[in-house]
Parts: sequence; structure tokens; C-alpha cells
Amino acid sequence: MGIASEQWRHAMKPTRWVVFFRTFVLYQLWRFLWINLRMVRMIAKSH
Amino acid sequence: MARVVVLGAGISGHTAALILRKKLARLHEVVVVSPARRWNWIPSNIWVGVGRMKKEQVTFELAPVYARAGITFRQARAVEIHPSGRAGAPEPYVVVESTAPDSQGAREEIAYDYLVNATGPKLNFGATPGLGPEGNSLSVCTFDHAEQTAHALDEAIARMKEGAKLTFVVGMGHGLCTCEGAAFEYAFNLEFELRRAGVREQARIVFLTNEAEVGDFGVDGLQIRRGGYDVPSSVFAESMFVERGIEWITGAHVHSVDPNEVTYETLDGQKRTLAFDFAMLLPPFTGVGLKAFDQDGQEITSELFAPNSFMKVDANYTAKPYEEWTPEDWPRTYQSPLFPNVFAVGIAFAPPHALSRPRKTENGVPVAPAPPRTGMPSGIMGRAVALSIADMIKRGAKQPTHEASMAKMGAACVASAGVGFWSGSAVSMTMYPVVPDYARYPGAGRSTRHTTGEVGAAGHWIKHILHHLFLYKAKAYPGWWLIPE
Ligand SMILES: Cc1cc2nc3c(=O)[nH]c(=O)nc-3n(C[C@H](O)[C@H](O)[C@H](O)COP(=O)(O)OP(=O)(O)OC[C@H]3O[C@@H](n4cnc5c(N)ncnc54)[C@H](O)[C@@H]3O)c2cc1C
Repeated sequence: MGIASEQWRHAMKPTRWVVFFRTFVLYQLWRFLWINLRMVRMIAKSH
Repeated sequence: MARVVVLGAGISGHTAALILRKKLARLHEVVVVSPARRWNWIPSNIWVGVGRMKKEQVTFELAPVYARAGITFRQARAVEIHPSGRAGAPEPYVVVESTAPDSQGAREEIAYDYLVNATGPKLNFGATPGLGPEGNSLSVCTFDHAEQTAHALDEAIARMKEGAKLTFVVGMGHGLCTCEGAAFEYAFNLEFELRRAGVREQARIVFLTNEAEVGDFGVDGLQIRRGGYDVPSSVFAESMFVERGIEWITGAHVHSVDPNEVTYETLDGQKRTLAFDFAMLLPPFTGVGLKAFDQDGQEITSELFAPNSFMKVDANYTAKPYEEWTPEDWPRTYQSPLFPNVFAVGIAFAPPHALSRPRKTENGVPVAPAPPRTGMPSGIMGRAVALSIADMIKRGAKQPTHEASMAKMGAACVASAGVGFWSGSAVSMTMYPVVPDYARYPGAGRSTRHTTGEVGAAGHWIKHILHHLFLYKAKAYPGWWLIPE
């Protein structure tokens, strides 16, 4: 078995839905706000 | 009147200089010494390296910005520090060597009251025979390297369009490298571009890294809370590689890079070769090699600097095993223990030790990712030191008044995985603190609330916005100081 298929066997794979939501605009807009909030919180904690 | 000299105009030095200028009255002088004429937003070099941006989009001329801000600029390379001046004239000074076209090589002494060493890394391609653009591999560390890499990629894609099957190796060119995140980003952007060009099927992509596990990033990995579990970042990183069909080789020290072949050794002591058509391998970093002298002209470099040429600051440099590392080992004020008017920030300060567990191969070759000092911590250090110096000058403070320990600081990092408003994506990561604190956060060493990561287009939008935001800030346009590091 080649290195690639052996690695494939042991790794976690995303489902179709996970992949879909990564570029689904409405969901990503929500994530955009949420990630920004998280980062602002991190910046506030670090300065 | 006081003069503050800042060596280096990268993320940390430029931040320090702008804040000093903002805080100090005009009777005080802020001088920046930097060999490069242009400022570079280094994180976007990844996009230059896949041909998605031109180098003009990630750089700008420093001189007009400094002229507007009221900062004196010397296009020069610092070579010597004389922290106690010379016999009979105790005023400290630095010796700089011009890199400007009209005065190339001319030496000048610049006296200082306060010195900030923000000279970043020397890209030590020489550590591995054949490594680097002068040898047999490519790099994205500078905008010129990145542009050269983009040309090589164009050629590779053209060959593949004619039917060639090619192997791409991306990763770290030495066992002691840092900045694994940048190689990770490049691997994903490369894969994305090959897909976009319709030649992905003809490409084998291998990620070759000194990390013991992918997703270590030189910070000993992260634990991310997901689905009711605390999941190691290696699980997510491996998943991303597998999803995109990228193979990975971990725990590797690269011995040499020959034309079209890399020789490496892994932790099990096995020496192997890997044939490639295109290799983008990052170099290990050292300090830039500044020398220091006492009043009598005797060299004191080893007192001011660690053996790797990074400047010693208020860290605990006692050598100790991984199990005994503590967050308190990390510096807080970045002040030199020997000269209270000398500071080192960003990559230029000597870290007390790594963050990832150091390992050796079965043959005793060290494979130990060096600790990253990424953009956000570098900028925050620059700010803290600038504020301390401003207080020392204005209020006569005897000690630095601001601290910025990486053990009390978080980092936000967005690792691009492909460019495109609709189809692009990036990994948005936050970690707190950067230096793990196992007493405060048993198990993970970091807050599982504030240590997060996710993949999606939102990350790409953020990365793109940050690109413009940080260029705006670096150009010192109105309100620049409202944008945090
Ligand atoms: C390809 C790549 C991608 C990256 N991506 C990210 C990212 O996405 N996010 C992130 O947070 N970090 C990222 N980083 C890391 C980030 O670039 C560094 O953390 C940051 O640049 C460190 O800032 P610095 O000021 O210490 O050094 P630098 O930014 O390297 O600046 C050093 C400065 O010193 C000058 N200099 C050198 N020698 C001398 C001398 N002798 N005298 C005077 N001046 C000198 C240099 O010209 C330069 O101006 C990336 C790094 C690379 C290489």
C-alpha cells in the first residue's frame, strides 16, 4: 500500500455537508462575523 | 532631546517606529535603519508565490511614508553595536552600512539613546547544501523569491498542460526550521492553483516537514474543541491533506537538495531521497549577525547575543529539558539584561527554548521546530517596547512600563488554502496563550475556549481584508493607530 493510501485510511474525512458549508455564502457570512468577534476578543486579551 | 534608533522595518520594527513617533514630541528623533527600500507584507508573499498577486501589491516604498510621518530613514544594514560607546566618549552608537544605490557600502555611525533591534531573521539557506533560490529549491520568504517561485510554477503548469506528470515538494528545508504555517499555506494554495489550471491529476504533491505531526506548527500543536471532544490539530491538518490528496512526511531533517532530488532523514533514522520537479522549501532562521563591541573595541557579541545570533533579552536562558519549560521562561519587556536602553523584538529576540518537543533522529540528528514569532506577537512586542521607551523618555521611567509576554498573549492566524471570493478558503485559527501554560490549563496547555480553528471562505475574506488593512496601517494613513497589531 502506498504512503498516500495508508495516510488516507487513518485520517478523518469531511462529509459532503461539511465541504458544502465551507463555501455556502449565508453560512460563511455568519462565520465571518463570528470569527471576527473571536479575533477581536483575542486581540483584546493580548494587548 | 533623545534619539531612538530602530534597526529593521519589518512588522515589529515598523510598528515600534510609528508608535514611537506618535508618542514622542518632535524634539525627539526616531531613526529607522533598514536595508530594504520597500516594506513587505510578508504573509501575502504566499499569493505572490502562486501568481495571484504581483510584488507591487504586497510592498510599498518606505521613504515617503517615513518622510510624511517625521521619521528619519537610513537605507542601510546595521553591522555593529557599540552599547557603551568608545573610550572617552561613552555615547552608544551603531555602525550601519549603506545599501542605497548612490552610497552602497558607505559606513556611518549613528548615536542613540535607545536602540530597538527588530532585524528579523537571516534566511539561513546555507545550513542545507543546495537549499534555496541560489541552489536547487524555491522560497517565498521575500517578495523576490515569491515572484521567482510563481514563474517556476507557471512553467510547471505549462509542462503539465503538455502532458508531463510532475512532483511538487513543499515544506521545510532543515530539521530546525520555523514558520511551518507558511509552508502549509503554500502547499494548499499550490494545490488549489493546480486544480484551477486543470492539471491537478498530473501532480503529486508532498509536504515535507520537520514537525513530528502535521498541524504542530512549531507550537506543539493545538487542542481544538469540536463535537464534544478536544481534538489535536494534527487530526484536522491530516484531514485537510488527505482531502486534497497531498501526501506528507513528518519528522524530517533535509540533508541536501540536489537538482531535482532532496535527501532527508526521518526520526526513525532512515535516510531517503525524493525526486522532484518543483521544490519550495523554507530555510531555517538565525539572527542577522550583528556584532557588539565594548568601549575598548573588544568584541562582546557573545554577551549580547545567543549562539544563533538572536539578541538575549529578559528571558530565562537556563538550558533545561522540555518537561521543565515554564511560561515564566519567556521574556516580558524585551530589554537587554546588560544594557537597559537596548531592546529586541519580533524574530530578533532570542527565545529561551522551543515550544514543540525537541526530538532527534535515531542517528542523533536534531529535528526540532523552532518557535514561531508570527505577525501578531511581533507587532504587539513592537508596540509594548515603543510605549516603554516613550515612558522612559517622557516620564523618566526607570524600568520598562509595558509587557508583552508570549505566555500571556494570544495569536490569531489565518492560513490561506486558496484564493477566490466564492471558492477560496482559509483556516482561521486563534490560540491562547501562544506559550502553553500547563499549570493554568492542565492537559491542553491552552484555553480550549480561546483556541479555535475552522476552514471556510470566511477565512479567505478575512485574510484578504487583513492584507489591505495592514498595508493601510503600515502606510500610516489617517487613523492607522486604530488598527490593532
Ligand atoms: C512566507 C511567510 C508567510 C508568513 N505568513 C504569516 C501569516 O500569515 N501570519 C503571521 O502572523 N505571520 C506570518 N509570517 C511570519 C511573519 O512574517 C513574521 O512573524 C514577521 O515578519 C516578523 O516580524 P519581524 O519584524 O520580527 O521581522 P521581519 O518582518 O522579517 O523584519 C525584519 C526587518 O529587518 C530588516 N533587517 C534585516 N537585517 C538588518 C540589518 N542588519 N540592519 C537593519 N535592518 C535589518 C529587514 O530588511 C526587515 O525590514 C510569515 C512568514 C513568511 C516567511
